[in-house]
Order: sequence, then structure tokens, then C-alpha cells
Amino acid sequence: MDTMSLLMQGFAVALTPESIMFAVIGAILGTLIGALPGLGPANGVAILIPLAFSLGLSPTSSLILLTSVYAGAMYGGRISSILLNIPGDEPAMMTCLDGYPMALKGKAAEALAISAIASFIGSFIATIGLVILAPILAKFALRFGPSEYFALFALAFATLGGITGKNQFKTMMAAAIGLMIATVGIDISTGVQRFTFNTLELFEGVDFIIAIVGLFAISELLFFLERHAGDGLKQVAINKLKLSAKDIIKVLPASFRGAVLGFIAGVLPGAGASLGSFISYTLEKRVSDKGEFGKGDPRGVAAPEAGNNGAASGALVPMLTLGVPGSGTTAVLLAMLISLNISPGPMLFQQNADLVWGVIAAMFVGNFVLLLLNIPMVGIFVKLLSIPPKYLMPVVTLIASVGIYSVSHSALDLYFMIGFGVLGYIFRKIDIPLVPIILGMLLGPEMEKSLRHALVLSDGDWTVLFNSGLSIGLWTVAILGLILPMIVGPIVRAKMSKSKEAVKDV
Amino acid sequence: MRINDRVFGMLMLILAVGYGWEATQFPIPFGGQESVGPETFPIMLAIILGISSIYMIVRPDQDEKWAPAAMLIELSVVVLSMLAFAWAIEPIGFMPAAALVVSFLSWRMGASIAKSIITGVTSSVVIFFLFNNVLELALPLGLLEF
Repeated sequence: MDTMSLLMQGFAVALTPESIMFAVIGAILGTLIGALPGLGPANGVAILIPLAFSLGLSPTSSLILLTSVYAGAMYGGRISSILLNIPGDEPAMMTCLDGYPMALKGKAAEALAISAIASFIGSFIATIGLVILAPILAKFALRFGPSEYFALFALAFATLGGITGKNQFKTMMAAAIGLMIATVGIDISTGVQRFTFNTLELFEGVDFIIAIVGLFAISELLFFLERHAGDGLKQVAINKLKLSAKDIIKVLPASFRGAVLGFIAGVLPGAGASLGSFISYTLEKRVSDKGEFGKGDPRGVAAPEAGNNGAASGALVPMLTLGVPGSGTTAVLLAMLISLNISPGPMLFQQNADLVWGVIAAMFVGNFVLLLLNIPMVGIFVKLLSIPPKYLMPVVTLIASVGIYSVSHSALDLYFMIGFGVLGYIFRKIDIPLVPIILGMLLGPEMEKSLRHALVLSDGDWTVLFNSGLSIGLWTVAILGLILPMIVGPIVRAKMSKSKEAVKDV
Repeated sequence: MRINDRVFGMLMLILAVGYGWEATQFPIPFGGQESVGPETFPIMLAIILGISSIYMIVRPDQDEKWAPAAMLIELSVVVLSMLAFAWAIEPIGFMPAAALVVSFLSWRMGASIAKSIITGVTSSVVIFFLFNNVLELALPLGLLEF
């Protein structure tokens, strides 16, 4: 078994004291980021990238740190779902359905513990899935030529809105804007200046990390101000944990089913974690015998939480093997890879095998750390959750600015960050999704490069883009991904909000 | 009201046309014209942006409510304060600038004046020492240098 020995080598990297330290720090920070109101996982990872960068951490250490943050944020998101009935991010919405009613019944501690176990199972199974699937996909992707890659990038944008996407034209517009920002600067292959207006600062293009922090963190601050949400929300008090082995065994099947479904949803383009947790929850409701779903059934907490975490690890498969992320947070992780000068894709598994397997092994380690951390220490996280945003958000903004500033010590970068924050605020008001913009900035150079390679090889013949079975297949999925949501989207969304409303009536 | 999408679509259409026109004006790269030049990809993007902005103008979505004028002014003041902070880091120094901007932000978010000043001063001092001494990333001292 080739994979097995590679994984063992990975553990040799992941179990060094330094790596364990970064995994623990990442897990704690991640849980905090996930739990705190107004800081999603994408946001949190984005703020930490420039810090990891300017601290001069090695690629392996920074990847371990940030993947632990990513995993931790998924764990943390459930805390606010259960105690506040406010999902930290969209995929955590289904956890509210049974988690909050459980908390209202005075079983908050049990709900938190069960969801921690389910999260663990979800990530654990999905990481095993990643170990099995990623090398296979990477090998397959070696057959991709430039025209297949171009089709693949198109597919990534087309399916980004996901099956629940609202307005496909707005997703298209956002992707175009992001790709346009990416074209600013000196053209790599010809040396022609594009859209620089002879400004020296624009020659190297716009730094996507600055854009990410601005679009996410600064626009979030503006929204908090506008909504007068500075005081925070009332949360349910937490009780003493009384969890027996029987309770845990009862939720195990639900967690396993959720984990597998979530992983599949995470790997597939356009499905993502929201759909993963949604499918897991609905299936669980159907499969289980006369449960009290929607009124605080523990299985209703376990299934979506396992699905959500499974999808989070599953989403790493296309990101690592193809270089095409499927969600906002994996897009941010891709940003980090690119800024560390590591190009993801099939070659990653050959050129940087020790790094990839080290990170995968670190995900297993991080998971155990998170489980150990989350059950006894949940009280501390809950305390932090009660810090009102009016103190927290300004400090977070300060940390974000320090991170950006310390990369190149220039105030100009901060002006850009604030500018992107204002843009992000306007885009969100008009319902233009932010993730395609970021993905466009990240994938733009690669996408243009594959287009050029394909056309140069064919001597300017555009039909080369559609002349292999593989690329036609990819284009078909891309077009379906763009059109299907217009038909199916309203139905799925209606169902999701219906089950949400059913809970509010309780 | 469906005015937001129309106005924004209009702006984006102007951007698409301007961007596309600019792309056709690129100088011919050294080594002569090839089948794909630096302008090919930008022109494709301009077309995509053009199509989606026309769709937005023709079939706009329902508006999300804009904040009242007073709030928009307040948000602009906040943005200005952050720009001032970015400007002030080097001449005035990180600690005073950060203390001022954090206090201001947290006061605008609804904290009492005393508490926001405490938040601002503590967070800026802690972050300064954390970055300078523990993480060894130098932040400018500014006025406090002497």
C-alpha cells in the first residue's frame, strides 16, 4: 500500500512537537473564531494568513496551523447555533433545528457534547475518505490538458452558486469582476502592462489577501454598525453535563450516515456543506423511527453536524487535487497555498508529497485535539461567546489591520483593505456574492494561462476547447450547474426555510 | 423598489465597455501578434460582465433596504476614521493611533465612553507588546520613541 506508507511518513511530520503545538494553537483559535459572532471560518482564516506569512512560518507549519483553524471553526460554529439559535455560517443552520430546542429544554451541555462527538466522527470519516480519494483523483487529473483545465475552471465558477444559488447572473457577474481584478498588472507571458494606468503600485497586481480581509472582515464591521448589533444576543444558560454511554451509542448511526453523505456533498462541485448538512438531516428524519425531530432530538443534532464537518473535509479533495475550491473557506485556504508559492493540483501530490501527507496527518491529530478540547473546555468558549461584539469587533478589526500592515509595512495596503471593505458592503447590499470575486482573483492567472496554452497549441483554433470527451463532459456539467439552480433552487430553498419555520413555531 | 440593481447594472455595463475598450488598446507585445494576446481573456470577461449587467438592468431583484441617511453618514465617518488610522500608524505610532481608532469604533458600536477607552487602550498596548516582543514583528513606535 503506497498510500499507507505515505500517510505514515505524514504522521512522522505531524507528530513532531512543533506540529502538535501548531495544531493545538490552531484548534483553539479556530474554535474561538467559529464561536464568536460575526467571524465566520472564511473570515478567520483570512485574518490569520498575513500573520502566518509575516511570522515566516514554514509552509508545513502554516498549513497545519490554518487547516486546524479551519477544522476548529467548523466545531465552533455549532456553539452559537445551539446556544443562540444563530448559525455561525450557513451550513450550521440545520444544527439550530434540534440543537436550540434541546438547549431550551435544559440540555444545552448534552447538545454541545453530542455535536462535538458527531463533528469528530464527521471529520474523521471524511479525512479517511480524503486519504483514499485524493491520490486517485490526483492521478486522474494528470490526464488534464490546458483545455480541460480551462473547462474545469469554468465549471468551478458555474457551480459555485451551488444548487441553492439565488441569481446565477449575479454569480457570473461576481466571477467576472474577480477575474478582471486578477488581470490588473504586468501580463506574465508578454510583459504588457494591463489596466495599471502607469501606477507603480499596480504593476504587481492587486494582492488577493488584502482583498479577502477587506471584503470579509471590514464589510462585516460595517454591517454590525448598521444593525446596531453591538450588544450581542441573549444566550441560553448552560447546564451540568449528564451524558451516558447509551446516549452516545444512540446517535452513532446518525453520525455515520451524516458523515458519509456530507463527505460526498463536499467533494461534488456545487453541493457544499450547506447541502451536506441539509441532506443528512432530512435523511435522518426519514430513516429514524418516530423521533422528535425539530423538538430537540439528539439525532437531529448529530446528523447535520456530522454532515457539515464531513463536507468541510470533503471540500479539501477538489481543492488539493485540482486546485479548484468549492467553497468560500477552501478558497481562502487556496489563497494561502498560492501565497506560500505552492501550486495545488495533481502535481502537488508528487512534488510536495511530504507536505500534503503531513497536513492530512495533522488533520487527524487536530481532530483528536478538538474533541479533547471541546468536551471539557466548552464552558470557556461559552464565556467568550458572551463578550459583546461592541468590544470584540473593533479589536478583531485592529488585529486584521496589523496582519495586513506587517506583510509589507505600507499604509497603502491598509487603504486598499478599507476600500475593499466598502466595496464588499455595497456588493452585499446588492446581493452580489463575494466568494466568486475572491475565487476569480485567485484562479484568474491560471485560467488565462490554460486558455493561452490551449490556443497556442492549436494555433488559434477555438474548437480545441471542446475537442476531447473529458472537456465536453466538464462543459456539460458546467452548463448544467449554471442552469439547474434556476429550476431546482427555489424548491430546495423553500424546503429549507419551511423546516426552519417549523422550529420557530415550537 | 428595484432601483439598486438597475443602477448597479448600469455602472457595471459602463465598466464592461470601458474595460473591454481599454483591452483593445494594449500595445502589440514584443515579438509580434500571436493568436492569443494579452487582450483575448479580458475581452471575454468584458463580454460576460456586459451580459450579466444587461440581465440585471432588465430583470432586477427586489431591493434590500439601504440604511437611512444618518447611518450612511456615520458609516462614512467610521471608514474615514479607519483611513486616518492607516495614515497615522507611521508618523504618530501604532499604540496611540490604534487606541484612538478602537475606542472610537467601540463607542460607535454602542459602548459607554469610559469602557470604550479602556478597550482601546488595553487592546492596543497588548497587541503592540504581543507583536513586538513575542512574535517579533516590529510595529512603529512613532511619537513614543523618545
